[in-house]
Amino acid sequence: MTRYRKQDPEITRRRFINAAMGTTATVGIVSLVGVLGTANPVFRLTRDKMPPVEGDILVHASASKEGEPIKISELSEQLVRAWPMGKDKEGNKLIRKGDPNNVLAIYRFPKGQIVAPTHLDATIDGEIVAYSDICTHAGCSVSDDDQQEGQMKCPCHSGQYDPKRGCIVVGGPPPRALAQLPIKQDGEGLVVGGFFLENPYPFTESEWEARKEAVKAQLA
Amino acid sequence: MNQWLDERLHISRLNDKFLRKAFPVHHSFFLGEITLFSLIILIITGIVLALSYEPSNSLVVNSFDPGTAEKQNLIPAAYHSALKINAMPFGDMLRRVHHWTANIMVAAAVIHMMRIYFTGAFKKPREINWWIGMLLLIFTALTAVTGYILPYDNYAYNTVKVVYGIAASVPWVGSWLAQAAFAGNFPGDGIIPRIYGYHIMLLPGILLALTGAHMLIMIKQKHTQPQYAKRIAYKKIVGVPLLTQQTPIMLMLTLLFAGIVLLFSAFIPVHPVEFFGPPSTTPINNIKPDWYLLWVFGALAIIPSFEMNILGGVIGSEFVGAILLPTMVIGAMFAVPMLDRSKDNNYYAENPTNHPVRLAIGTSFMALLIILSVAGYKPDLISGNVLTTANANTVLWILVFLVPAVTYFSTIGIVRGIRSLREADERESLAHAAAADD
Repeated sequence: MTRYRKQDPEITRRRFINAAMGTTATVGIVSLVGVLGTANPVFRLTRDKMPPVEGDILVHASASKEGEPIKISELSEQLVRAWPMGKDKEGNKLIRKGDPNNVLAIYRFPKGQIVAPTHLDATIDGEIVAYSDICTHAGCSVSDDDQQEGQMKCPCHSGQYDPKRGCIVVGGPPPRALAQLPIKQDGEGLVVGGFFLENPYPFTESEWEARKEAVKAQLA
Repeated sequence: MNQWLDERLHISRLNDKFLRKAFPVHHSFFLGEITLFSLIILIITGIVLALSYEPSNSLVVNSFDPGTAEKQNLIPAAYHSALKINAMPFGDMLRRVHHWTANIMVAAAVIHMMRIYFTGAFKKPREINWWIGMLLLIFTALTAVTGYILPYDNYAYNTVKVVYGIAASVPWVGSWLAQAAFAGNFPGDGIIPRIYGYHIMLLPGILLALTGAHMLIMIKQKHTQPQYAKRIAYKKIVGVPLLTQQTPIMLMLTLLFAGIVLLFSAFIPVHPVEFFGPPSTTPINNIKPDWYLLWVFGALAIIPSFEMNILGGVIGSEFVGAILLPTMVIGAMFAVPMLDRSKDNNYYAENPTNHPVRLAIGTSFMALLIILSVAGYKPDLISGNVLTTANANTVLWILVFLVPAVTYFSTIGIVRGIRSLREADERESLAHAAAADD
């Protein structure tokens, strides 16, 4: 009798449906992840998004004087915000404000007040110094401290920096100092002497090295 | 007409199933309804605003102040359309109503949640609705935050910059995450269309779905009954039916609520875009998030700076203050129903003073959030010479621990006092009754 007992099919109906649904769900989720990947557009390094490079002229960033070259006589212990201005492929003037993190803070202190860890050879006569104006904490623009002359304070989470000492953090949550930008005098105006000496916001050290290489490769 | 409809749609079944839902009569049960009305007002005003809003951050010439031919006055299209909405008849009013209602919605939801917590209404069988309520709170806050980025004035610009920074502070995947969420490196060309999509499609869709689930589960499980229901009819559902008794009450409440919002909006301006101006390099002094996120902001202001490198990922103070801490707080709130070990279903709203530890934990939790919000005013406290730069962090950190602790113990003390008074009263009335019997 056992010879004629009904044989189980190789795969039961339930198992088949479960496997089919599992496969469908997996394929669906994987393709959804693929689609979500397109939410992140490709970054193209154009000249207006480049960080300040050697030879850029520093121009005013405030709305009323935007684009006018900064004169040394206009600088003081009050912060002056600047954009780097380079040239596009045709050689026309181009303010590098495609990346808002390019905004710079420029100070002029009486001789002798700027001390290490500021890179003194990157200042002008130890008097004029330029930093990235972007707070290393959350990327806000840092302002003058309304309490202490010659100090900087971020209005977002009150991170404090000392521009006379390499913009080290003297209070609040920022993780590291503002990056210093080497500058040189050119007649009445200021020009950039090279890349930021440290990694500015939002770059990590390795990202910053990679960006510098990318900029050099594109400008070469 | 009822009959005509009933023959075709069987609306009498709908009536029996949903419209006769009993609503307990107690003013604290209106808080959830106010949240719901806010959502409705927000959707209506939001639709009208969307008709005139231009979701784009490309630069256009400011038609109110075009500048000169050589130097045109270019502003983002979104900001330009906000200016145009303000110039429409009642346009500014519309924006204010939308903004005020959003604030009130969060407030009503928070107070509604406090009612649920303090009366033990989250207990079995209503844990699921507590969790859905938590999600509603989170998504309401997200919708509100994306909403105030949309005018794309300088304030909004600085806000979204910080939000981008927070997203980017997640170790390992942060920068990818921030770029995916905000359409590329900040400020991406598509940042406003992206946030507009979140604000008017994705997040409201989630909110509506969650609200629907919240309501259906509430109808299925019934409200927790107030204490008076126990006295009137033990183990029976007491209340007025939705149709027709509760409906006029709700309508009256809606009208009163809408009236108050209009009054607020008429006299108290919110988010003056003209004052903040278009996005610029000049930061806004003492920028603050809305009140319900001030505690995160405060935590960020007092956490000292540090940076740790773990396997190539950077863990900084920003990640700890703006992501880890809120996750812990929200996680604790999610865990609330699981801390209750009772096996029986809870039918009646409990008197908070009968559960002093729960009450005290709740009040000290609120105290913690309030003191962290105060810490958000650190720059103002320093400028106002209440604190100095040197002692601000120390003082605020001490308060962060001291105030919740004091609140905890004083709540316990007050509850004990109330209980002993009540017991004394009962003894006295018993004694009187005994004396009267003699």
